[in-house]
Amino acid sequence: MSADGRVEVGPAAGFENGDAEIVQVGRVEVGVIKAGGEFYALRNECPHDGGPVCEGMVEPRLVGEWSGPGERVEQHYDDDQCIVSCPWHGWSFDVQTGEHIGDDGYVLPMYDVVVDDGVVYVNEG
Amino acid sequence: MIDPKEHTVVDCDWHYADTFTQIAPYMPEPWKTKYQKSGFGDTGVKQNLAAFFPASTGSRANYGKIQREFSEYPDGGDTKEDVVAGMDELDIDVSLQISHLILAMGGVTADDRRVESFVKGYLDYMLEEVLDPDEGIYGLAPMPYHDIDASMDVLDRVEDEEAITGVVFVTAGASPPLGNRKYDPIYERCEEMGYPVVYHTGGSGLDEYVRAGYQDMIETHTLGFLESNMSQIVSVASQGVPEKFPDLDIVFMESGVTYIPGLVSRLDEEYLKRSEEAPLLEKRPGEYITDFYFGTQPLEVSARPDLLELCFDMIGTDRLLYASDYPHWDFDSPSVITDLPMIDDEDRKDILGRNALEVFDL
Repeated sequence: MSADGRVEVGPAAGFENGDAEIVQVGRVEVGVIKAGGEFYALRNECPHDGGPVCEGMVEPRLVGEWSGPGERVEQHYDDDQCIVSCPWHGWSFDVQTGEHIGDDGYVLPMYDVVVDDGVVYVNEG
Repeated sequence: MIDPKEHTVVDCDWHYADTFTQIAPYMPEPWKTKYQKSGFGDTGVKQNLAAFFPASTGSRANYGKIQREFSEYPDGGDTKEDVVAGMDELDIDVSLQISHLILAMGGVTADDRRVESFVKGYLDYMLEEVLDPDEGIYGLAPMPYHDIDASMDVLDRVEDEEAITGVVFVTAGASPPLGNRKYDPIYERCEEMGYPVVYHTGGSGLDEYVRAGYQDMIETHTLGFLESNMSQIVSVASQGVPEKFPDLDIVFMESGVTYIPGLVSRLDEEYLKRSEEAPLLEKRPGEYITDFYFGTQPLEVSARPDLLELCFDMIGTDRLLYASDYPHWDFDSPSVITDLPMIDDEDRKDILGRNALEVFDL
């Protein structure tokens, strides 16, 4: 942790989309995830069973569209929605909001991320 | 406590104990003639290993213990007068009739027209000889759901009939399960017509409903009726039928109430771990299920009162519909509702009749 209340994560250039880095922020672990060119920071503790959620798979969300009675629900990966799934049991969260994709009553706390001079930081907030 | 005599009682599940001999003259050809030449008689079964619908074993009437004053159950042969007398005795003002024989339709797996022919004959028979809104006797139209065209024919037949207030899907034997898109046209049409869809569990083939070798009906009836409804609830909810057809009223009949909290809890746990597999859902599947309506019979009155109270609270007393299942062996009289200690009189009136008046637009 730096003196200005932010935690250095690492060089932004070191992240590809879908990459995650775990850092200690105060007393908790936070996962910094790059998705769609943006950085997001979420608490690395699944509200289900305490699993390391941000160490799980980061991928576009699989969604379904129904075009009418009798039609198959067609599924496709939506590149506008990115999820991270806890490797323990598969609980999945939208990385942009921290909300569980099936029940927005479950939310991973989010943290501010800044990129300063090519370096990614999490505000201790 | 309230007296059912003083309040509207709607029985959402009275079984008209029909016989094939009664229905066959109304069936379309060629099954009308084929039936009448079969020698299958009233019960549709001949003791030479042939039957119209496959039969299950075990004595429904518990080897002679069960006797009915206002029905020819279990052999069948009821008349409208039996229904009127039975309703009067049980203080039932309105009944929704469901064929007794159709409950075995799930045993038919052949791609033939037996179920369709029976349903068409049954409806013509009932409309001609039994159903009478002036007497409070209404009916539900069974869906030969394995054949969508036939189901549409049935809906065409009944749509202007005041005495028909909805449709019934026999849950046993429905394969693929009833959340499959195959059935969408039926749901779409029922939604347009304002017909509730009543899923009614069934007993056909229960001796081998998942595995062969059960000994007695206490086992197959306990498990089979439950499984038949549970499998369809999971399918209907997970596949998003309530999202596809938001104005469709969904009713599940005849498995009591205590299975609902367990099923909802388990399915919700699965959903939180596998949400992408139910992509049409906007909320937990359990939240859709507790918006369904449930027939109360056979109400588990011997259960711990706090369990029943939890079930009623979870489902909601605005979602429970009194059902007698008369004349079947495990029927409930209105007293199971009027004597329930954990609900108040307004809830009792809702469950006994007011909810059903609204759902079935009576």
